Amino acid sequence: MRVALTIALKDLRQLWRDRFGLFWVVAFPLLMALFFGSIFSGESSAARKLRIAWINAAVSQAAVDFREELGKSSALVVTDMPLDSARQLVTTGKITAFVQYLESDTAASAPYGAPQGRFKVGIDPSRKAEAGYLEGILSQAYFSGLQKMFSDYQSGRDWIQQSLRGLDSAEGMTAEQKFQYRHSLTLFDTALAAMGQLDTGTSDKQGSPFGQMNLDFEDVAVTRQGPRSSWEITFPQSLQWALIGCVAAFSLGLVMERTRGTYLRLRLAPISRIQILAGKGLACFIAGTSVCLALMLFGIAVFKVQVASYPLLLAAILAAAICFVGIMMLVSVLGKTENSVAGAGWAIMLVMSMTGGGMVPLMFMPSWLGTLSNFSPIKWSIFALEGAIWRGFGWGEMLTPMAILIGVGVVGFSVGVTVLRRSEM
Amino acid sequence: MITVSSLTKKFGAITAVDGISFTVAPGSLFGLLGPNGAGKSTTINMIVGALPADGGTIAIDGAQDPTQPSVRARIGNAPQALAIYEDLTGEENLAFFGRLYGLRGPRLKERVRFCLEFAGLVERQTDRVGTYSGGMKRRLNMACAIVHDPPLILFDEPTVGVDPQSRYLIFEQIEKLRREGRTIVYTTHYMEEAQRLCDTVAIIDHGKILDLDSVPGLIARHGGKAVITAELERLPEGKQLPGVVVEGQLRFESDRPLEDVARLHADGIAFHTLKVDNPDLESVFLNLTGRRLRD
Repeated sequence: MRVALTIALKDLRQLWRDRFGLFWVVAFPLLMALFFGSIFSGESSAARKLRIAWINAAVSQAAVDFREELGKSSALVVTDMPLDSARQLVTTGKITAFVQYLESDTAASAPYGAPQGRFKVGIDPSRKAEAGYLEGILSQAYFSGLQKMFSDYQSGRDWIQQSLRGLDSAEGMTAEQKFQYRHSLTLFDTALAAMGQLDTGTSDKQGSPFGQMNLDFEDVAVTRQGPRSSWEITFPQSLQWALIGCVAAFSLGLVMERTRGTYLRLRLAPISRIQILAGKGLACFIAGTSVCLALMLFGIAVFKVQVASYPLLLAAILAAAICFVGIMMLVSVLGKTENSVAGAGWAIMLVMSMTGGGMVPLMFMPSWLGTLSNFSPIKWSIFALEGAIWRGFGWGEMLTPMAILIGVGVVGFSVGVTVLRRSEM
Repeated sequence: MITVSSLTKKFGAITAVDGISFTVAPGSLFGLLGPNGAGKSTTINMIVGALPADGGTIAIDGAQDPTQPSVRARIGNAPQALAIYEDLTGEENLAFFGRLYGLRGPRLKERVRFCLEFAGLVERQTDRVGTYSGGMKRRLNMACAIVHDPPLILFDEPTVGVDPQSRYLIFEQIEKLRREGRTIVYTTHYMEEAQRLCDTVAIIDHGKILDLDSVPGLIARHGGKAVITAELERLPEGKQLPGVVVEGQLRFESDRPLEDVARLHADGIAFHTLKVDNPDLESVFLNLTGRRLRD
């Protein structure tokens, strides 16, 4: 085992230093997962929000506060832009609507700090539901000041005192009007003071008749038969590309050892052939397993890939790695030169990948291709990985793909070793 | 140390090694000298167990099977092709091969250090082999063969494509190994190398050993006569000369060149220039293998 480990570590060090080889083993599979995952993904959180444009022709504090309140909405993505640009984007369907705020001619603000001007919403007339949705969000933002006042009585009373002070100097109002306003505001102030006293000693403001609507959301997910996101398809596929990269790198490495004479030097050491090849296989296994685990961790951490069973996922990765070690050994004896092995290796792996779901996902395959895919180890590898991630396999269901993968690995390794031994005669 | 008897190897219809026999004494430096395709590397590969023989026997210290790990551990082989890893450093190559022979810890470090000094690569030990010159790679290839300190070392054409400085260092180190008591088998087609280094030389061609002896012994048997070329001051009148004179230059062959030259001088024959070409290993080689090209 120590000899095999020595050879494996040497091979891994060589792979690490071969930047081009490393690209095919690590970077290329990740790029494939990201590329196809982003193409098929239409359910990002940003995509589920309404995209609107905000056009403000004036600069009143009330309008600024309103825009800020609107930006806090988790249902909107708000972008400031000129009217012409916004209209163009709505026309082309790139945003849902634009909201234009036109300042009022009078200097007075609406009650409770809400903007006094007019709002104009530009939206396609066929988007009735989205228009209603947007209206609700705009209303919520508009009355947020009022809501705040009844949640925080002191701020409401501060606003009343400020309004009373401004009433004396207000122009364009008759004495009668000023009297009525003063009377109403004073009554309102008294009411807020009384409510504040009633609430003293209780921190629960939800009981306030003017508080927030008591509304709770419960996550009730739709039961799905398939994957929850495109990433749960593309990441198992990317693992296949990583394993294919390992097969290409290590089969080429083995044939290079033979053509460049280092294999002869290994054979002349006091170690057996099987120790040498076990070292080669171990290197391929370690590289394949490590890259697969790293890719899956990346998918889980960044793209929220949900794994149904981690033990099954680990088992699937190990079985797939064993399978590809056998394939690597078989590919390495398909030719006597680096060119022939590289060419034959990629050709075989591409055919296996095409028929096995490495390119077109298994679930999208026509039935005849689905039947043909049974002859590709890649199909069983993806099947096992998907089984652990979203197909909901148990150990019993996992047994078949794992047995096939390990069987292919053992047979491939044995055939490769036999051919290699005969070629040395 | 090595006893080879009636060793034979065929590749299809071609007989690469045809029943050769020889013995290499412990502590000696044995040369296999032959043109390209003579069967030198095939013989080496059979000795180290990389190729199975079709006939004959090989015994190394009495052991009949060179593929046995215990026998292989006593053999160091520097193949003609550069069998080293270009992605690894010189130090990493040596340490890797050392580990395969069971070296660990301080002993491994000591041997790696020794081999780096042997190959003159101490200052470049942490550089990747891919950045080495041809001579440095060749020296590292040799050093990898001795990292486990074997008593029997086989160098297969170790000076192919190296510069004079590297060649000089290689000669020095091989002579040092011999002085330390190692048994060395050295294949080459460079006559001057075999003449300088080898105690015993086997001339091999078409898979057969044509002759085997010490260098002086081979020269005495197959080197032929010395060739004397002399530019005469004037043509002597009425005197019998031992060779032919062409444009004032006398040329003749002799078993005793110095005696013949002294006799001519005593007869009053004066020379402008005198050149004596004694037979050497190249003469032996060409006399035995012929002058036909072996491409």
